[in-house]
Amino acid sequence: MFTTIQDLGRSGYRAMGISPGGAMDHFAASVANYLVGNDKKQPVIEMHFPAPEILFEEDALISITGADFNAFVDDQPIAPWKPHCIKRNEKLRFKKYLKGARSYLAIDGGMASGEWLNSFSTNTKVKAGGHMGRPLAKEDIIFVNPAIVSKAFTNFPDFSKEIDTVYQPENIIRCIAGPEWNLLNDAAKQTFTNMLFSITPQSDRMGFRLNGMDILLDHPVQLISSAVDSGTIQLLPNGQLILLMADHQTTGGYPRIANVISADLPKLAQATVHSQLQFELTGIENAEDALFSLYQTMASIKNGCKNYYDAD
Amino acid sequence: MPAANSTITDFEITALSDRSVLVSFGNIIAEAINRKVLYLHKKLLQSAFNGFLESVPAYASLAIFYDVVQIKKHTQSPAFIFVKSYLQQLLLQINTDSEPAAEIIKIPVCYDAVFGMDIEHLAESHQLKISEVISLHSSVIYRVYMIGFMPGFAYMGTVNEKLIAPRKHQPRLNIPAGSVGIAGSQTGIYPVASPGGWQIIGRTPLQLFNVNSSTPCLLSAGDQVQFASIDKNEFEQLHGY
Repeated sequence: MFTTIQDLGRSGYRAMGISPGGAMDHFAASVANYLVGNDKKQPVIEMHFPAPEILFEEDALISITGADFNAFVDDQPIAPWKPHCIKRNEKLRFKKYLKGARSYLAIDGGMASGEWLNSFSTNTKVKAGGHMGRPLAKEDIIFVNPAIVSKAFTNFPDFSKEIDTVYQPENIIRCIAGPEWNLLNDAAKQTFTNMLFSITPQSDRMGFRLNGMDILLDHPVQLISSAVDSGTIQLLPNGQLILLMADHQTTGGYPRIANVISADLPKLAQATVHSQLQFELTGIENAEDALFSLYQTMASIKNGCKNYYDAD
Repeated sequence: MPAANSTITDFEITALSDRSVLVSFGNIIAEAINRKVLYLHKKLLQSAFNGFLESVPAYASLAIFYDVVQIKKHTQSPAFIFVKSYLQQLLLQINTDSEPAAEIIKIPVCYDAVFGMDIEHLAESHQLKISEVISLHSSVIYRVYMIGFMPGFAYMGTVNEKLIAPRKHQPRLNIPAGSVGIAGSQTGIYPVASPGGWQIIGRTPLQLFNVNSSTPCLLSAGDQVQFASIDKNEFEQLHGY
């Protein structure tokens, strides 16, 4: 179990060595907020499986997005990517693992959590932000905004088509060439784009250690430390790859052979241990276009939610 | 005129990710190059473009992060091209001649073997007395080249060549906050407890990283640092300040 409070991360502190952190899947976290009528920057709860049982001591309007862990409110299953009213003394549980890696719980009005450097994200390294700078534990109490709502949401808009465009096709991960891409010879470049790489159990919010055919350089290099980003794929001296994620270090000294495009980071955040990734190289303009269309998808979901709540 | 001679022309701009570019000035640790990095960093903070998010200085490179969607809303060209040409223009305008020297920050360090777990081994393997290690390490004014690896970790250099020491083969699982170490020709201080592979020669009682402060890091890139040897009693008195 690893459950933390996250938002969209802290921007502007990398020069101090403080990584942005935040939700691994920005799309799912933002949509979870939109579904309950929140601004996308409200804190949410990021859950891995097994996920916690949560007793609501107040009525609340909630949504669950991202990974599907078969959510139930008492004995009733509830659909993901939809708003729900949960009553005082009802219990939210996650019964079994279905798909994805990280699930997000948003609550109308947000939740009380610690702000550090303009973000509610939990930084476990320096123990700051979120819930006392640490993962949630048994018996923790989180204060929420009580909502007086009782709705069935029967005519709530369906966003499954939009959601599919973000997560499909599942394991094809588009990248652009990284600053050290040209250290690879042609055979090594082909290994990277033609072979599959699996996510090993040595993977967490800092990054995924991948397992695949060795990618070896003609000559070993010593690089001096330089900045990295979420999605940076580093080549280790032993020929294996590390893919950096939300809690990555701000700088590193391994060759940065490629970088996953921003539009495919949500997909990657939902990839589970042992998934096989197929990297596909693309150009910077395609990457920007993909990011712009992800932004438009989010805007259309946001508007759909807003129109629904405004029409009340 | 000097300004014209020192205009920055030897650089390369590449994409780091689809939302950040890297301006590289080479792959070496040299003060003259690091000054260019920090000058560009400062200049960019003073005259940021619309969509600029943050920049990250390293030894010989500056990464610039930007909001692709915001830039694409006001320009026809790809955001990468827009940022790249903005930086090219900026690099034409700047020179590093007039940069004033930073104030020297004194950092007390207790080099006792209780704190400096590797100082005895380092002295022995370098055929030095422990007192020589201490005086070689504390007699140099170091430059903070960059902050990275973890919150507030300052990469400083360069150490006297008699002290150059490799990283440990087996990194330690837990190095206490304040530990002062050497890796290659670099020296640094662990701001918070962490696993790490640097050879530890002492510990400072100062708090390098304060999570409750709005300016959480004591050091930033471009600072000058000198270590001052203190004993265990002084360490205890200063601890936590």
